Amino acid sequence: MITTGLTFVELAALMKQSAGVTVDPAELEEAPEAPFSGLGVDSLGLLGIVGELENRHGVALPPDAERCKTPAEFVALVNNTLAGV
Amino acid sequence: MTRRVAVTGIGVVAPGGAGTAAFWDLLSQGRTATRGITLFDPVGLRSRIAAECDFDPYAHGLPPELSEHNDRYVQFAAVAAGEAVRDSGLDTAAENPWRVGVSLGSAVGGTTRLEHDYVLVSEGGRRWDVDHRAADPKLHLAFAPSTLAAVVAERFGARGPVQTVSTGCTSGLDAVGYAFHTIEEGRADVVIAGASDSPISPITMACFDAIKATSPDNDDPEHASKPFDDRRNGFVMGEGAAVLVLEEYEHARARDAHIYCEISGYATYGNAYHMTGLTGEGLEMARAIDTALDQARLDPTAIDYVNAHGSGTRQNDRHETAAVKRSLGHHAYDTPMSSIKSMVGHSLGAIGAIEVAACVLALKHQVVPPTANYEIPDPECDLDYVPRTARPRKLRNVLSVGSGFGGFQSAVLLTGPGGRTP
Amino acid sequence: MSTQRPRRAVVTGIGVIAPNGLRTDAYWKSVREGLGVLGRITREGCEHLPLKVAGQVEGFDASALIDERFLVQTDRFTHYAMAAAALALDDAGLAHEGGVEDPFSVGVVTAAGSGGGEFGQRELQKLWGQGSKFVGPYQSIAWFYAASTGQISIRHGFKGPCGVVASDEAGGLDALAHAARAVRRGTGAMVAGAAEAPLAPYSMVCQLGYPELSTVDDPDRAYRPFTAKACGFVPAEGGAMLLVEDEARALDRGATVRATVAGHGATFTGASRWKESREGLAQAVRVALDEAGCAPEEIDVVFPDALGVPEADRAEALALADVLGAHATRVPVTAPKTGYGRAYCGASVLDTAAAVLAMEHGLVPPTPHVYDIDCDLDVVMSRARPAELRTALVLSRGLMGSNAALVVRRGGGLAR
Repeated sequence: MITTGLTFVELAALMKQSAGVTVDPAELEEAPEAPFSGLGVDSLGLLGIVGELENRHGVALPPDAERCKTPAEFVALVNNTLAGV
Repeated sequence: MTRRVAVTGIGVVAPGGAGTAAFWDLLSQGRTATRGITLFDPVGLRSRIAAECDFDPYAHGLPPELSEHNDRYVQFAAVAAGEAVRDSGLDTAAENPWRVGVSLGSAVGGTTRLEHDYVLVSEGGRRWDVDHRAADPKLHLAFAPSTLAAVVAERFGARGPVQTVSTGCTSGLDAVGYAFHTIEEGRADVVIAGASDSPISPITMACFDAIKATSPDNDDPEHASKPFDDRRNGFVMGEGAAVLVLEEYEHARARDAHIYCEISGYATYGNAYHMTGLTGEGLEMARAIDTALDQARLDPTAIDYVNAHGSGTRQNDRHETAAVKRSLGHHAYDTPMSSIKSMVGHSLGAIGAIEVAACVLALKHQVVPPTANYEIPDPECDLDYVPRTARPRKLRNVLSVGSGFGGFQSAVLLTGPGGRTP
Repeated sequence: MSTQRPRRAVVTGIGVIAPNGLRTDAYWKSVREGLGVLGRITREGCEHLPLKVAGQVEGFDASALIDERFLVQTDRFTHYAMAAAALALDDAGLAHEGGVEDPFSVGVVTAAGSGGGEFGQRELQKLWGQGSKFVGPYQSIAWFYAASTGQISIRHGFKGPCGVVASDEAGGLDALAHAARAVRRGTGAMVAGAAEAPLAPYSMVCQLGYPELSTVDDPDRAYRPFTAKACGFVPAEGGAMLLVEDEARALDRGATVRATVAGHGATFTGASRWKESREGLAQAVRVALDEAGCAPEEIDVVFPDALGVPEADRAEALALADVLGAHATRVPVTAPKTGYGRAYCGASVLDTAAAVLAMEHGLVPPTPHVYDIDCDLDVVMSRARPAELRTALVLSRGLMGSNAALVVRRGGGLAR
């Protein structure tokens, strides 16, 4: 994994900033398969997170990035994209 | 004693040409008015296409104060209302002004002008503490959403109930519905009803970009709006206005007016699900259809044509297909259902009224307008979408449905001569 | 079905988010005492603007009253509306989970006159300052006028008729009437009202063009309708939501019927043509009285529009005289909003809430900052006046030319 990858700590911060949802990063890390919907992040929230990451890194994430169901799936997808996989 | 509501006048400003005649010509020919955006430079946007109106307020004889200080959407409405009132033959000066109302819808109101002036007062988006000295002193006309209904009321001397309705993308249907209720309940005899929007501006295009709701088919704008087609990938922004003159039935008869048809039912519900999302079941839209049918005391099998919301987003077209099947049952498969958004785009709050106007014209001409660009069926959208070519058909009862952000689900039912069960 | 008596629309819950009180009891306490809370606008980026004084909502705790995620997802005007709706439902005894059996039996209608301006300005700044890709997804649902109705419907699972009148001030009364009609047509209950948040820099710049706006910077002198010193109105934020319910349904579930929405009239006489508003307002009152089956002498208290523009105040006093005759000079008149400002569409809903509370408490609240009345009305000043109040008349006029009147009766049909 390259150093610019998305961590759960960063994802938690993004969830707060882009969707207004407070979640403990440790909780994300422990249960990365718990669905976003259960955490209170809807499709718009995830679109906001995707947009923020694209602006920060200057890369486009795959077209269906906002359809990821879980933090684990999303983090993997983002990091694969950033790593150029 | 129920008061019936007649449609006695129509006015339209739509992409492809102002005026009812140009509008019907476009629809009945199945032409599309979608193109690359010319109203501003759309560089950098994901969706850079729209259905624009070629519109010159001066050519329509609007007075300078309307042309200079009012937003484009108010001008559209003033022109469409002018055509509708002329068409109705109503002498507004001879009416009791307290019995004449206005009900006009708009989803985003004066946002285009608000954005334009924001840029001036914020030094191009650099300042939060905007500088009032650079602002147009009439900017409140863009800020106040009721400007729309107020300007039209003023022009035609309406002094009864005057309101602007803003229920997102069902604004047009709801404005017609509120007007229908106003006359039915006896609060007015005439209501100038319709909707207008001019949302083709950077902020509105950008906000739909952000949720990927608009089509990115920038290389082929003429074929970008593809409702119900399996290749559909979002709506194409539009703009325009449509205005009807609605009139208590006996009032219209007493002055020997030409009656196009009646508004025979209207209902709206919320889906209480998500601000932008739709369920796969279409329960709430189906309920709106059922309630409108009940009001008209019509059986679902009496519906001859469904004018769809048909925005061309993946979820909408499935949702709506499910809703219509739920309400009409097997009759849904025998009922043509088309989306004029394939031709004139999706003008947010205005489109509901433009679609009701299309229904009035469909009844008049006994022709179902087509769904342009429809080529490849989606297995989940399996109704008769009237591909590409208008279709003559005996039409008595026609339904127009719509969905809006915020969860609004509305249905308006129109009944032509001979369509009402005694 | 046709043999049943007509359905009556009654008020069973009130929720208030106002500059002079969060929650209904705090609001009533301030209104009763005639507390003046107008003050210097302290919102960021507003200090340099020529509009200095307003009624600001202070101490609004989003995480306690709604949910903190809405701070990111939608605008302040919707925060206030959602909070007021939740308070109204709580007040009506419908807030608990599963409080409504049939989701289609409850609808929502709001009036909106300024939309999500603060949210919109932030996103405009991102668009023009940084680029279109910086506009966030919530812009599509936060700026538009329908945001509050949609969010309330979703939050509480209400699938009944949902509506929005995007209006000037009179829209608040129109929304309540819209709710009453929906109830009479068969909906069980409607959450109805308005809340506004027009105190963001660009929204304020947009309001500066209203010739009726007071730019006096002394909070005690900025808004004094019906006096020789009247110099315009002071804007405010906040508003109120009411639960408007079918009386039979309310009684069935054991709810307290607090008031009846008895009659409404709406007319239009043109923006800033205040002299002509006399006729328009009088006609609206006639229609409202007629619908309510109410004689002019039955009106026990009037909550006027009280714009604070001499010509408009005069027209309002004359309109009352036109319709109420000699009774117009005897009936107590009060404008509590001189203490906290005019929250556009929210103002007339707050007035209606105050009217219901006044009837319940048998007390006409005073009109803060107003002394030396310059017209032929019995304006209640300085301190609240005890009175037996059965019927209230609420008036509202909008800056774009609408006039509306609402007749509200204490209790329900059985209480009278």
